[in-house]
Amino acid sequence: MREALTLAISAILLAGFYAAMAYGLGLIYGVLRIVNLAHGGIIMAAAYLTWQLFDRFGIDPYLAIPIAVVVFFLIGVGLYLGLVRFLPRGPAGAVQSLLLLFGVWLVIRNIVYLLFTGNDQAIQTRYATSSAGILGAHYSVTRILVFLVAVVALVALHLLLTRTYLGKAIRAVAQNPDSCTLAGINVERVYAFTFGLGTALAGLAGVLASTLFAFNPSFGASELLKSFVIIVLGGMGSVLGIASGAVVLAFAEVFSIYVVPPYLTTAVGFVLLVVVLVLRPGGLFGQRVLR
Amino acid sequence: MTAARPLPWISLRALITFAVVVLVLWTGPLVLPLGDYTHNIIGLTFMFMAAALAWNWLGGFVGQISFGHSAMFGVGGFVAARLMLAFGLPTVVGWLVGGLVAGGYALLWGHPTLRLRGPYFSIATIGVGEATRLIATYWSDFTGGSSGLSLPLSSGPTKYQLYWYGLYLLVAAVAISYWLRRSRIGLALLAIKEDVEAAADVGVNATRYQDLVLFLSGTMVGVCGGFYASYQAFIDPQDMFSFDRSISLILMTVIGGIGTVLGATGGAVVFVIIQEFLLANYSQLYLGLYGILLILIILFEPLGLTGLLLRLRRLIGYRRLPADAGGPASTAAGSATEAAAAEGQKGMAEEAQP
Repeated sequence: MREALTLAISAILLAGFYAAMAYGLGLIYGVLRIVNLAHGGIIMAAAYLTWQLFDRFGIDPYLAIPIAVVVFFLIGVGLYLGLVRFLPRGPAGAVQSLLLLFGVWLVIRNIVYLLFTGNDQAIQTRYATSSAGILGAHYSVTRILVFLVAVVALVALHLLLTRTYLGKAIRAVAQNPDSCTLAGINVERVYAFTFGLGTALAGLAGVLASTLFAFNPSFGASELLKSFVIIVLGGMGSVLGIASGAVVLAFAEVFSIYVVPPYLTTAVGFVLLVVVLVLRPGGLFGQRVLR
Repeated sequence: MTAARPLPWISLRALITFAVVVLVLWTGPLVLPLGDYTHNIIGLTFMFMAAALAWNWLGGFVGQISFGHSAMFGVGGFVAARLMLAFGLPTVVGWLVGGLVAGGYALLWGHPTLRLRGPYFSIATIGVGEATRLIATYWSDFTGGSSGLSLPLSSGPTKYQLYWYGLYLLVAAVAISYWLRRSRIGLALLAIKEDVEAAADVGVNATRYQDLVLFLSGTMVGVCGGFYASYQAFIDPQDMFSFDRSISLILMTVIGGIGTVLGATGGAVVFVIIQEFLLANYSQLYLGLYGILLILIILFEPLGLTGLLLRLRRLIGYRRLPADAGGPASTAAGSATEAAAAEGQKGMAEEAQP
């Protein structure tokens, strides 16, 4: 019982990170109907940026967040304006966008590999080994911080999407881009901004990941897969949906240690994905549209 | 639907061209003084062509992009290797059984996931590939873990003979490709690719057709895995099941022209040439180069080399034969893939020659 409680708290801490990680993918898919296959590559690149800032300039990973968010927002806007913009919309573009963004992922991997070799890297902050007690069990400070940052980011995003004009424009474009053009919304600009925002969120996830895991240029494949599992589980749009998808995945993974060997944790997410897609194609809560 | 055609799924001219090309390739090494290296590489290229064609059945004909075909490549390779090691089965039988097991494995995960379309299916296949790789790496009793498996060198065809086995593999893959493309099944697959629900409305059982294609694709890729195991005489799970292997199949097809027979084979040739001659010296750049190639192709010529050939033909065609209805008109009508496939039938000859 005590062990189960400890595991449950672990799962919730993990779910915070997962939700922040998945939201970028969900936002871009919700608005542009494109699966950003470079998502994992962006996460990996952001982890490297954080590591460089820490290693060279001594900037704490958590202070690097604003830098990474701005940098990857600009990269995202650049990717949209330079590449994604030219893809055909609709189902014809789906295959092409997958392949194009896959190409981007390969390029990112190669650039990082050339700059920093393929060795595993990790960030060792002073507080990396300290821990804090919650309900009698100890958890590393890093994991708690990651959880808090993720929650703050998600709340901010929720407010942005529901309380601002820009957020309303994004949600309107997600529902019907054509009528938005009629209503005087610059749809292309909303697309560019959304792609930037989604990429910035992947960047944030990368910063957080760099404090939790060791990483190398091939890091990110399972992060992409997990993000996708979460947006399928929770529906594409709402913060609440993403959060619940993240909680389901995190609990399934953490508690799977009772059943399967640890190296198969990634497979747990995949099995969950297939089961949900086959049984409930609309997601656990039957909601797929960004509202 | 197909009644109007004189021959069910292939024209006599294409058949003769194909036979001539195969004959030339079959006798080539006996007549020409090819070095060992070139000879072996061409044999390996035949296998890659077959594998790319098999990927294309699913990715091009049905429009379901798989990022997980390394799973079947690996399963086929390891099952074949184990059978040869344990029971001393003849090589070809080993490949076939390995292929069938791989096809069965493909059905196992594919039957549920093929109900998904587009990005959903694609991402699911990333999961399949990763999960299979993990299981294979840790299941060292079967795969030899990180130290891999060595095949007996004494039995089976030599590396020199494998050239012809590779050629047979390619012939089989091309034949199946045309059958899938040109027969009634091809029409059903096209309908599924364009619109699953509309296909179902006119009585096309999408599940059954997709299962069939996936099984064939998995089996062929599995046989290719077996061939690769014999070719290398040593396999390890990190290599056989690697994500890069799935990627390479996608790249070959996309470089050549997705959805076309000509494209998948031609793309495999280009891929091997790039791999062997350019990147042997710049091994650190290969992922990025392929990435850039992928981006450029998607942005500028989504049909790859086939698309370029079509453009070229249109240029020449307009000058010489302004009334050529088949080429430019049907492309302009929007179904570029179809036109390219028709083109593939005629132009396959040049492409099969590495």
